[in-house]
Amino acid sequence: MISKFPFFLACKSIQRGNKGTSVLTVLIISLIFVNLIFFPSIVDGVEETLIRQSIDHVCSNVVIEPKDDQRYIDNADSIEKKINKLPGVVGTSSRYVSGATFFYNNKLKSGSIHSIDPSDEEVVTKFHSGLIAGEYLGKENTNEILLGIDITGKEGEVTGDSDLGGVQVGDKIDVTFSNGVIRNYRVKGIFDISSININRYAFITEKEMESVLGLENQASEILVKLSRRGTEEEYRTNFVELGISEDIKTWGEKTADRIGSLVSSFSLLTVISTVISLIMAVVVIFIIIYINTVNKKRQIGILKAIGIEQNVIINSYVIQVLFYCFCGIAIGLLLFGIIASYLSVNPIRFPLGYVEPMVKQVLILQNIICLIVFSLIAGFIPAWRTANENILKAIWG
Amino acid sequence: MITITNLTRTYVMGTVQVHALKGISLKINKGEFISIMGASGSGKSTLLHQLGLLDIPTQGEILIDGKNVSKLSEKERSLFRLTHLGYVFQEYAIISELTALENVYLPMLMTGRKKQDCINTGIDILKRVGLGDRLDHLQHELSGGQQQRVAIARALVNKPKILFADEPCANLDSESSRQVLELFKKLNTELEQTIVMVTHEDWHMKYTDRVIHLKDGLI
Repeated sequence: MISKFPFFLACKSIQRGNKGTSVLTVLIISLIFVNLIFFPSIVDGVEETLIRQSIDHVCSNVVIEPKDDQRYIDNADSIEKKINKLPGVVGTSSRYVSGATFFYNNKLKSGSIHSIDPSDEEVVTKFHSGLIAGEYLGKENTNEILLGIDITGKEGEVTGDSDLGGVQVGDKIDVTFSNGVIRNYRVKGIFDISSININRYAFITEKEMESVLGLENQASEILVKLSRRGTEEEYRTNFVELGISEDIKTWGEKTADRIGSLVSSFSLLTVISTVISLIMAVVVIFIIIYINTVNKKRQIGILKAIGIEQNVIINSYVIQVLFYCFCGIAIGLLLFGIIASYLSVNPIRFPLGYVEPMVKQVLILQNIICLIVFSLIAGFIPAWRTANENILKAIWG
Repeated sequence: MITITNLTRTYVMGTVQVHALKGISLKINKGEFISIMGASGSGKSTLLHQLGLLDIPTQGEILIDGKNVSKLSEKERSLFRLTHLGYVFQEYAIISELTALENVYLPMLMTGRKKQDCINTGIDILKRVGLGDRLDHLQHELSGGQQQRVAIARALVNKPKILFADEPCANLDSESSRQVLELFKKLNTELEQTIVMVTHEDWHMKYTDRVIHLKDGLI
C-alpha cells in the first residue's frame, strides 16, 4: 500500500488540480514529441525518396561495370542471360554511356548519352514513366532520341546557355559523340523526372549506339532489377559464383557519395533539432513542476509534518510528470499520425521529388524513451528541491 | 510520557544568534491536557516544534515513552511523527486537492493499512468531530472551523500518543474556537488523549489541566 501512496496523491492532484495547466502541459509535450519525430521522419523520407529514385531511374538494384582496366564489359549478352536465369531477378538492361554535345538553333549543351534496349529498360527502370511529351523509343529506332528536360529547356523560358532553349518533340538536333561522330536525330520524347541528374541524360537505342561506337555485344554497364530490395549482397555473391568477374556494385555503393553526403548533412540537422526539442521539453516540464511545487510548498511541508516521507512526495510529482508525458506522447502520436496520413496523400514537393514522412518504429521508440527520461529528470529536480526543504520553512516560509 | 531535559534551541540569522529556548526541563504525563502560554516570541511554538519532532533542538534531550527521539534519523523521525504524533496547525492546514475524508485517512493510508479500513476509520472520526455530513467536501467548501475539525480528525486517525496543537483557534471566531476546545476536552476526557496546545488566549486555560508559562525561552 505504501508504494501505491504516491499514486494516490498524484491521481488526486491531477484529478482536482488546475485543469488548464494540465491540458497546456500535455499539449506542449505532445507538440514537442511531434517535433521530435516529424523532422527526422522527413529526413528519412528524403533519403527513401532518393534511394527509390536512384533504383527506379538511375541504377536499379545492382550495376555491373567494367573492371578497372577495361572500358567496356565484353560478352554482355552472355552475362545478361546468366543473370536472368537466377530466381528473383526481374530483368537486366545493358547500356552504353558516352559523352555528347547537343546542338540546336546555334545553342549547344554538353551532357551524357545512354543507349538502351527499350523493352529491357522498361523492366529495369521507370524513367519511361517520366515522359512529358512525345513517345518512348522503339527497339528499331535509329534516328530518334529521348531528351531530358534539362537539355531541351522550356520554350520561351530564358535560361542563358544552360539548355537548348526549348526543343520540342519533332525537332531535329545534332549530337556530337565523344569519338567525334556527328548524327542528326529527331526528338521523339522529352522526359522530366524529379531525380538527381537524370534530366541531363539523353537516350538512343542500343542498335544506334553500337553503330556510332562501332561496338557489338559490349556494354558500359548492366543494370539488374531484383524482385526484393535488400537482397543485393546475396545476389552479388550469386553473380560471382556464376563467374562474373566484372565490378559488381549495389545501389548503395553506386549512390553512396550522392545520397550519403546529403543524408549526413540532414542527420546533423536532425540531431540539432532533437537536442533543441529535448531541451524545450526539459525546460517546460521543469518550469511547470517548479511552479507547481513552489505553489504547494506549504502543502508539502504539511505532508512532511504529518509523517509522509519525502520520497513519497517526490514520487507523487514524478508520477504526475509521467502521466503528463504519456498523455503528451499519446496525443503527439495521434497528431503525427494525422500529419503523416495527410502528407502521404499530399506529399511535400522537394526539388528532388515528392517526399512523405517515413515512420520508423525505432525512431518513435527512441524518442519516447528520450522524452520520458528527460521529463523524469526535469520533474524530479524541482520536486526534490522543494521536498528537501526544512518542514518549518516550507510551512511558514 | 514526555520528559525534556535542558532543551535549548538557538537560531543563527547571519551573524546574530537568537536563543529561542534557553534550557527547558519539563515532564508531561499521559492523559494530560497541557496549554503552553506566553507572550509573542517567548518560545512557545519553538518548544512545540521540538516536542513534535518538527525541528531539531540545539541541545538537550527529549524522551517520549522512554525513547530518546532527539537521536532519530530524518526517516525515523518521519515514521515516528506518522505513527505516534498528531498535529493541528494554526492555519487550516489541510490538503486542498483532497476531500475532508481523504484528508483524514491520508496518514492512515501511509501506514500501509487497507484503503477500505482507512476510509471506515476516517468516516468514524469525522462523525465524531461533527462532520459526518461533510465527507466529500473539498477545502473551499468548508468553513474555517470545519477545516480545523478536519485537521483534528486527521491528527487523530493513527491514534497518536500525543496530539500537538499550535494555536488551533487563532484564525477562528469565538464560537468555532469554543467548539474546537470542547472537542479537545472531550477527546482528553473520553479517550485519555494527551494534548499539548500552544495558545495565547487566557479563556482557553479553563479547558486544560495544566498551564506552562514561557517567558524569554524559559519556564
